Amino acid sequence: MATKGMTLCNVCCLLLYVIAAVLAGRDFYQILGVSKSASIRDIKKAYRKLALQLHPDRNPDDPKAQDKFADLGAAYEVLSDEEKRKQYDTYGEDGLKEGHHGSHNDIFSSFFGDFGFMFGGNRQQQDRNIPRGNDITLDLEVTLEEVYSGNFVEVVRVKPVAKEAPGKRKCNCRQEMRTTQLGPGRFQMTQEMVCDECPNVKLVNEERTLEVEIEQGVRDEMEYPFIGEGEPHIDGEPGDLRFRIKVLKHPLFERRGDDLYTNVTISLVEALIGFEMDITHLDGHKVHIVRDKITKPGARMWKKGEGLPNFDNINIRGSLIITFDVEFPQTQLDEQQKEGIQSLLKQSSVQKIYNGLQGY
Amino acid sequence: MEIIHAVHVFVKSLLFLLLWSNCEGRESEHNHVTCGSLVKLLNTRHNVRLHSHDVKYGSGSGQQSVTGVENADDANSYWQIRGKPNRPCQRGAAIKCGQAIRITHMKTGRNLHTHHFSSPLSNNQEVSAFGENGEGDDLDVWTVQCEGIHWERDEDVRFKHVGTDVFLSITGEQYGHPIRSQREVHGMSTPNQHNWWRSMEGVFLQPSQVPLRHDEL
Repeated sequence: MATKGMTLCNVCCLLLYVIAAVLAGRDFYQILGVSKSASIRDIKKAYRKLALQLHPDRNPDDPKAQDKFADLGAAYEVLSDEEKRKQYDTYGEDGLKEGHHGSHNDIFSSFFGDFGFMFGGNRQQQDRNIPRGNDITLDLEVTLEEVYSGNFVEVVRVKPVAKEAPGKRKCNCRQEMRTTQLGPGRFQMTQEMVCDECPNVKLVNEERTLEVEIEQGVRDEMEYPFIGEGEPHIDGEPGDLRFRIKVLKHPLFERRGDDLYTNVTISLVEALIGFEMDITHLDGHKVHIVRDKITKPGARMWKKGEGLPNFDNINIRGSLIITFDVEFPQTQLDEQQKEGIQSLLKQSSVQKIYNGLQGY
Repeated sequence: MEIIHAVHVFVKSLLFLLLWSNCEGRESEHNHVTCGSLVKLLNTRHNVRLHSHDVKYGSGSGQQSVTGVENADDANSYWQIRGKPNRPCQRGAAIKCGQAIRITHMKTGRNLHTHHFSSPLSNNQEVSAFGENGEGDDLDVWTVQCEGIHWERDEDVRFKHVGTDVFLSITGEQYGHPIRSQREVHGMSTPNQHNWWRSMEGVFLQPSQVPLRHDEL
């Protein structure tokens, strides 16, 4: 009897658990693939990466694509908002007060721009007859620290948006040739401006927030386009807004591809007897250097894996190359020191003459 | 009586706290013009936007011309707000009133510039676009004159030139062909109704968090 009771109890518990799991709602952290302690930057980065993969236009054969994409949007909407995230952490999805505000389209377009997403296709290949507004290119300065760790830049775009207005306006104006008859057998060709009639619009300035990602390993001159966020065209499509990355010079590190170069000046004593030191890297971690042999001026040390992450595969890193130069003592030596050094070092006189320039 | 007094103090401090907390968060960068932003500048007296293009002055310095246009949808009216030469401003930081900046034309990479040449229509001081790839000379620097601490987006400001002390102005003179109906932009020595400007459309960068730093254990 006891065992039967136990099994029944177990079954009940299991059933209860399953029901609870189903009712508890979606696991937003799992959908985004981030840990419960993820920073807002990690969340934005995860969203941006997954949004490109899960967009329904990119998965036309998957019947669940629309749902997966909607889940992603819901997850980002909650976890990117401090208040909602707290509520979700405590009470689960059911604990969230109001329904979802902005549509997923709003969230998606703040990362990529408006106007129907083109996957790989060229916008120009669309209707060439549709007039297009100007493109805007903004030079975005980024630091080497941001190239190393990545970052997000929030941007407020204020742009004119066409709104309905009373009355009509002239649109699609173009020059056309008209033939008029002046008399029998006499014609005249004139150029005339011909316009269509369209509903009247007025341009009103509106604001929206965009998220630009500075991806790890990004290179100078790389561009991040936001479709449709450029200048409007009253008779056609808006142009695009492009952010062009400009990597700033760093006081300590020089970038060459994925490698970083830096220089260290050591004293003559350290060069001869050895030394130990730390170099603080771009994200604050320390690179430890130990040297117990003689270090010649111009000597280079390669630290593999301490360079920048590669843009195409951030698990691959370049190297940190450290070049040492030696600072000689500033004050002149007295006779006693000279004799001491002579006897300590026991290096015989060299005095070798040679052509060091060799045509350079 | 004691209880009433205690309640009184409590309510007072609660109200004070509420008042104080409401004042916080008003200083968000969302309403400021920030370093690195692209803006269109509207002259509020004449309702035209500061503009430049690959057209040179036919007189004066012969440098690239700067005008005022009526269109609101031309990308050639975008200017980037940058720091002084060799003193870059931090990306996303709000521009302070009185701060020295450069105003760089987005499409041509030339800086808003003025010098001792006469403007073609009104004989005021010629304002041109000068330099290459954002680098010109010391006459590219202007200070933003406004009330308050920071340059607000919906605020009228003046631009005073560091070097010749003139104000960026428009008084309404119009060009003919090939830039018909565009207004002359020039420098004037007195502050008046003709030198108020307001930022309109644009791409306003917000300040970013510094990337996470972590020390190895």
